[in-house]
Amino acid sequence: MQTQLDLSDISGMRFFDPHVHMTSRTTDDYQAMADAGIVALIEPAFWLGQPRTGLDSFRDYYSSLIGWERFRSSQFGIKHYCTIGLNSREANNEALAEQVMELLPSFVYKAGVVGIGEIGFDDQTAAEEKYYRLQLELAKEAGLPVQVHTPHRDKKKGTSRSMDIALEHGLSPASIIIDHNNEETVKEVLDRGFWAAFTIYPFTKMGNERMVEIMKQYGAERIMINSAADWGISDPLAVPKSAALMKQRGISLQDIELVTYRNAITAFGQSGQINEKDFEQTQEVDQAQKFESNSILRGGQQPRIDKNNIIIA
Amino acid sequence: MNTETIEEVEGLFTYLLETRLRPEEYAWLTTKTTEIQSTGDLKQLSKVFAQVPRYASKDLLGWKDKAIMDIKKLIPGYDLGDWTVETFCRVWLLKQLPSGDQEGYLNSINGLFVGAELNELVALYKAFPLLQYPEYWVRQCEEGIRSNIGNVLEAIMYHNPYPATYLSEPAWNQMILKAFFMEKEVTKIYRLQERLNPALQATLADYVQERLAAGRSVNPALYKLMEV
Repeated sequence: MQTQLDLSDISGMRFFDPHVHMTSRTTDDYQAMADAGIVALIEPAFWLGQPRTGLDSFRDYYSSLIGWERFRSSQFGIKHYCTIGLNSREANNEALAEQVMELLPSFVYKAGVVGIGEIGFDDQTAAEEKYYRLQLELAKEAGLPVQVHTPHRDKKKGTSRSMDIALEHGLSPASIIIDHNNEETVKEVLDRGFWAAFTIYPFTKMGNERMVEIMKQYGAERIMINSAADWGISDPLAVPKSAALMKQRGISLQDIELVTYRNAITAFGQSGQINEKDFEQTQEVDQAQKFESNSILRGGQQPRIDKNNIIIA
Repeated sequence: MNTETIEEVEGLFTYLLETRLRPEEYAWLTTKTTEIQSTGDLKQLSKVFAQVPRYASKDLLGWKDKAIMDIKKLIPGYDLGDWTVETFCRVWLLKQLPSGDQEGYLNSINGLFVGAELNELVALYKAFPLLQYPEYWVRQCEEGIRSNIGNVLEAIMYHNPYPATYLSEPAWNQMILKAFFMEKEVTKIYRLQERLNPALQATLADYVQERLAAGRSVNPALYKLMEV
C-alpha cells in the first residue's frame, strides 16, 4: 500500500490541530498546513527552548500568541487560537513563576484564548505541583478548559497524578484535555472521563500506525490527535497525514472526523471562544482577479514560492 | 474639536451603541464602564476591554447609516463604515475614560497597549482621533506604523484622520512608504494628496525606479501621486 502523501486522498476534509507551536515553525509550514486542509489550530503557551529569565519575556511571548502569530496564521487562512499558562519546566523558577501567576489574569480573558495550557508535570517536582494547582484554580475562576502536558519521563505515574490533582480541585474531567497519551495511559484517562489527546511525533512520542490500533481498540470518543510540532524534528502535517493513514486502514470517516477535527472543537469550545463560522468557509483561490495590476490575494492566500526552483524572484 | 462637535459626536456614538447592541450587551458595557469611570480600576478596564467580543458582534457598522455619515461630516476623514461593532464598542469605551487626571488617563490607555490582542490593537489605533492629549499619541502611532500586522496598519491608515493631522513630515512620509511597501490601499489614506511634500516625492520617485530596475510592477497610485 502506498504511503506517500497524496493530498487528493484527504481532499475536502478539514482538520483542526489542537497542539502546535507555530512560533517555532516557518511560513513553509503554514502554507503546507493550509494546503493539507488544516483550517484552525491551537498554540499552547510553552517555553522558548531555553529558560526565560524575566517576566517581560513571558509577557512579550503571550502577547505574540494573541498578536503577531495570530496574524501570521491568518495570512494562510488558518484560524489561530491559543492556550495561556505557565509551563511545567519554567514552574521550577519559583521567583519568576510567582510573577507569572500575577500576569496570567491579564491574558486569559483575551479573545481566542481557549484554555489554560500547557500546564502539568515535567519532572514532577514540588514547584511544578504548586503552580499546576494554582493554575487549575485559575482555570476554574476563568471558566476555561485545561490543556495538560503529561511528562515524557515517568509518564504513567505523572498522568495519574495530574488527573488526581485536577479532580481534587473540583474540576470536571470533561473540561480537561490530557495530552501526549500513549498505550499505557489511554485507558485510565478515558475511564476517568477526561479527553485523551495524542501527539503524533516521530521517534519520541506516538506514531500514527499505533494510533490506528488505539482507535480500533477504544473508538473515537473523547480522543483527539495533534502534531505538537515545535523546534524538534516534528511534522506539522501529522494530523492530515494520520487522517490519510486512518482512511487506508479502514477507520470510518466519522471517527476520523472526530479525532482530527470535531472532538478538539467540542473540548476547547467549552471556552466559548471558538466559532466554527470563523473557519468553516474554505478560501477560494481566484488567480485571475487583479486589483490595480497586482493580483488580489484574498484573506489566507499568500503568494506561492516554488521550493524546488533554484530561482528566487 | 469644539464643544459643540464633541457633544454631537457623543450623541451619535450613543445612538450607534444603543442600536447595534442587544439590551443585555448594552447593559453589560454601560454598567462596567460606569464602574470603571468611578473606580479608575485599571485591571477592571483591561478585563472589560478584553472581553468586549463576548458582548459585541463582528458585524460591520455599515456605510449607509446616517449616523456614520454624520460622524464623517463632523470629523472629516473619520469613516466608521468598515468598523465592526466590537471595535466600535471598544472605541466607545475609550471615549468614556475620564481625562481630567492626565497621568492617570495616559497610564490607563498605555496599559491597554501592553499585551494587546490583535483586535484590541485595531480598536486602540482607530480611537486616536477621539483620544485626549492628542499630541501624546504620536509616538505610539509611529510605533504602530512599524508593525507588520496588516490589520494594525490598516487601522492607522484607512479612514483615520489622526496621521494626517498629527504626524510630522518624516513620520508621515514613513507611513506612506510603508503603505506602498505593504501593498495597502493608499486611496483610503486621508489627505494623501494634500500632504505630499518634496522629500516624499523624491523618495517615491526613487522607489519607482527601484521597482522598474527590478522588473517589478509599479502601483499606478504611485504615478498618480507624483503627477501633482
